[in-house]
This record gives sequence, C-alpha cells and structure tokens, in this order.
Amino acid sequence: MIEVPNFKKHIIEKCGLSETEFTQIAPFIKTKNVSKNDFLLQQGEICSHSFFVEQGVLRFYALNEEGKESILQFASENWIVSDRGSVFFQEPSTYYIDAIEDTLTVMLDEDFVNRVAKINPNFRKQNENLLQNHIRHLYKRISLLLGASARIRYLEFVAMYPDMLLRVPQWMIASYLGITPESLSRVRKALAAENFKR
Amino acid sequence: MKTKNIEKVTRPGTPHFVGDGFRVHNFIPGTSTMQRMDPFIMLDYNSKFNFPATDKPKGVGVHPHRGFETVTIAYKGRVQHDDSSGGGGIIGEGDVQWMTAASGVLHKEFHETEWSKTGGEFQMVQLWVNLPAKDKMSAPKYQAITNAEIVKVTLPDEAGEVEVIAGEFQGNKGAASTFSPIHMYNVKLKKGGKTQLSFPEQYTTSILMVEGEAKVNDTTTAPQDHFVMFKNDGETFTVEAVEDAVILVLSGEPINEPIASHGPFVMNSEAELMEAFQDFNTGKFGYLED
Repeated sequence: MIEVPNFKKHIIEKCGLSETEFTQIAPFIKTKNVSKNDFLLQQGEICSHSFFVEQGVLRFYALNEEGKESILQFASENWIVSDRGSVFFQEPSTYYIDAIEDTLTVMLDEDFVNRVAKINPNFRKQNENLLQNHIRHLYKRISLLLGASARIRYLEFVAMYPDMLLRVPQWMIASYLGITPESLSRVRKALAAENFKR
Repeated sequence: MKTKNIEKVTRPGTPHFVGDGFRVHNFIPGTSTMQRMDPFIMLDYNSKFNFPATDKPKGVGVHPHRGFETVTIAYKGRVQHDDSSGGGGIIGEGDVQWMTAASGVLHKEFHETEWSKTGGEFQMVQLWVNLPAKDKMSAPKYQAITNAEIVKVTLPDEAGEVEVIAGEFQGNKGAASTFSPIHMYNVKLKKGGKTQLSFPEQYTTSILMVEGEAKVNDTTTAPQDHFVMFKNDGETFTVEAVEDAVILVLSGEPINEPIASHGPFVMNSEAELMEAFQDFNTGKFGYLED
C-alpha cells in the first residue's frame, strides 16, 4: 500500500481512531495520483468522491460563461476537497478540480465511511464535525467576499493557508480573493512598506 | 593519520527544473538526510546543459529564504540576482556568491540578460549551508567573491591547483567568512595529478566531480557529475585525476542542532517556521516585482 502518513494522522488525531483501528481500515484506503494540471473532476461529471490531500495542492473552481475562473477553494496537505452537492445529490457538477502540483489524494466515499464507522462508530460524528466546520468556513468566506477589504481578505487567506503564497501563482490567489492581481500586488506592497525594516 | 573511507558514490539522478533556468540533480537531501549532511542542508547541481539563446532570461522568480546561507558557484554561464533591499549583482564564470539569508532575503535569480542573448553551456552548484541557531536571525549579507579574489594554491609536481573558497588549505585561508567551521575548495587536477586532503574525522565531508573522472583513495572511481560521500572514520583521503578534473570539496563541522525545514525556510522548530511564513506573508521580507 502507498504510505499516507498525513491521512493516518488525520484519522487518528481528528477522527479519534486508534492505531489498531487504522490498521483495520488500511486495506480499504484508495489513493489516486494526479499530475500537475490534470483533472480530478470536470464540469458535467458526477463527483464520486471527496479527496483528502496527502501531498500536493488541488484547486476547486468554476468557469463563467466568458471562461473566467473563480477559485472556491485550495486544498493542500490535510485538506479535503469535493463537490459535495454533486456527490450527495448525484447530479452533474458545474465545477472543476485540478492539480496545481503533482498530488497524491486519498479517495473518500460513502462505502469507506460506512466501513470505518463499523469499526469505530465515532467516525460518523467526526465526519459531521468536519462538514459543519466546512459550512462555518464557507459562511465566513462569503461574508469576507461581500464585505471585507482586499487587505483583510488577503490577511485571512495567509492565516489559513500559510504556505500557499509560495506554491501557487499570484493570479490564482487573486481569483480566490475575488480581487484583481494588481490589487493583490498593491496590498502586498503596502504591507511590505509598513513591515519591512532594513 | 587514518584514511577517510567512502560511504557512498551517488550518480546524478533524474534532473528537475528550478524555475525554468536551473536544470538540477539534487544530491542533498537526495543522497542523505539534512541531519547526516549537517551543516550542508541542500545541494542542487546543474550539470553542463546547453540553454538556447533567448531575449527573455530564464531563471527562478521571486522567493524568500531564512535561516541559512546560499552558496552559488558558477562554473559556466552567468547569473543575475536582485533582492528586495535593492541589492543585486552578477555571478560570472569562476565566481562564488555567498549569501547569508539569515533573518530573511527576498530575491530572484535569472540568467544574466546579455548571456541569455547568446545562451550556451551552463553549469552551476547551489548549496545551502545551515546557520547555528544564534545566527539564524542575524542581518542578511552578501559576499560576492570574484574568481580573481579566490586564493589559488599550486600543487607540487604540476598536479594542478586548489582554489580555496572557504576555510583553509595548507595554511592558505579562503576568501569567504563562515559562521561555523567549513572548508570548501575547487581542486583542479591535471590528468595524472594527485593530492591528499585532510579534515577532522567528525566533519561532514563529500566531493562533487564537476569535471572529469578521478580515483579516490587509489581504488574507487568517481566519474564526472558523481557525488562522493565520506564516512566519519578517519581524516585523510586522496584524489587522483584519470583525466583533467575539477572537484568541488566540501567539509564542515556538524552544527548538531534540531532542523525544522519547509520549502525555503530552515529553522530549529516548527514554531519558528510558522513565524517565517507569517513574516513573509505580511511583508517583513519586503516586496519585489517578478
């Protein structure tokens, strides 16, 4: 089996399984490698899994009628990304998931959740926690997009994704923040002017 | 003095690109861990590679460093660097740039504009040297060492010469100042030329065959572009050139402190790494246009 130390840590620390229980679920862990620029999901497909990022970076985005990308989420190590609506309602997705770096994912689906829950019923509750946490995060994200300045959006972003500035192009970060690349540049320049002491 | 025996000889692995301007084989930490190679924590080797002429210089865009030093040794080609303090310069053939990133440098490195216009053979080493904890947050500085400033020691019997980049060779001091004891030479041997090198047993010692092939300790062949790592079981070893050879010799006293590393930051703890990311994200490294 491919080693997935981050997923193991996630299952043990976040979901409360023991080492022994992890050994029991290990045979059911499915992984998928996705090369940089390749897709895990494209518009029109039914999304069959949630993807836990073991290593690498994925992005979840929409394309508007003019072909402009809007990035809803980045997922680096220990993040989960999915079109949950498509998975749950079994309807064609309107989104894309692709890899910004060569990425190793753990593929999660209902079958996996059921198998793990059989071994440790607490897993279902922990999954619910993750979902509720995700919804809370989305509320915050919507309110920032509707009301916050570019600077606050940026500072919230780097607090949540400390290494993303070094891993993805600036224009993608601008897309995620709902600002222009020029505006992102201005924010970073202003911060440097305030904080750079030499 | 006891012989320093070979731990392993590593052939150059599949190269990868750093940005679009550096096609490198990674030897550290590819060959052994940072802890084993302490104080040398990264070595990327751009073996000879022909870059075609271009009006748009290739290289690597804006990126930060904190907690260590970068040493760039140019064998072929020219590199231009610029940083967020307004500093910059050109590293030409035979030159060495010893950059102490320490508390933080934001910079970019590209093939020099005029060199790019003709292109040609490019060969370079970039090495990261760790800093002791007490110096990690000291002020950044550069040592731009031109080839003319590098002390050259002629070997007897027309064996060749030794360029002393740092440390000391037979009483001749190198041009670079270092924060922990380090010896770094380019040993240039003529075909058949032989010399003995000697370093304390506990020092981390290795050589990179930049040019030509050599016999190490009379028995082991070190082909071009191979990396030879020594055990900590003695002080001296010999190199004898099978053909004209250039050998980069690295030997340093281990710093023996915890290493926490993530991307371009090498600190002593996870908390210091998080601080590095936060400082970078909030502009404390300055700003530089791509």
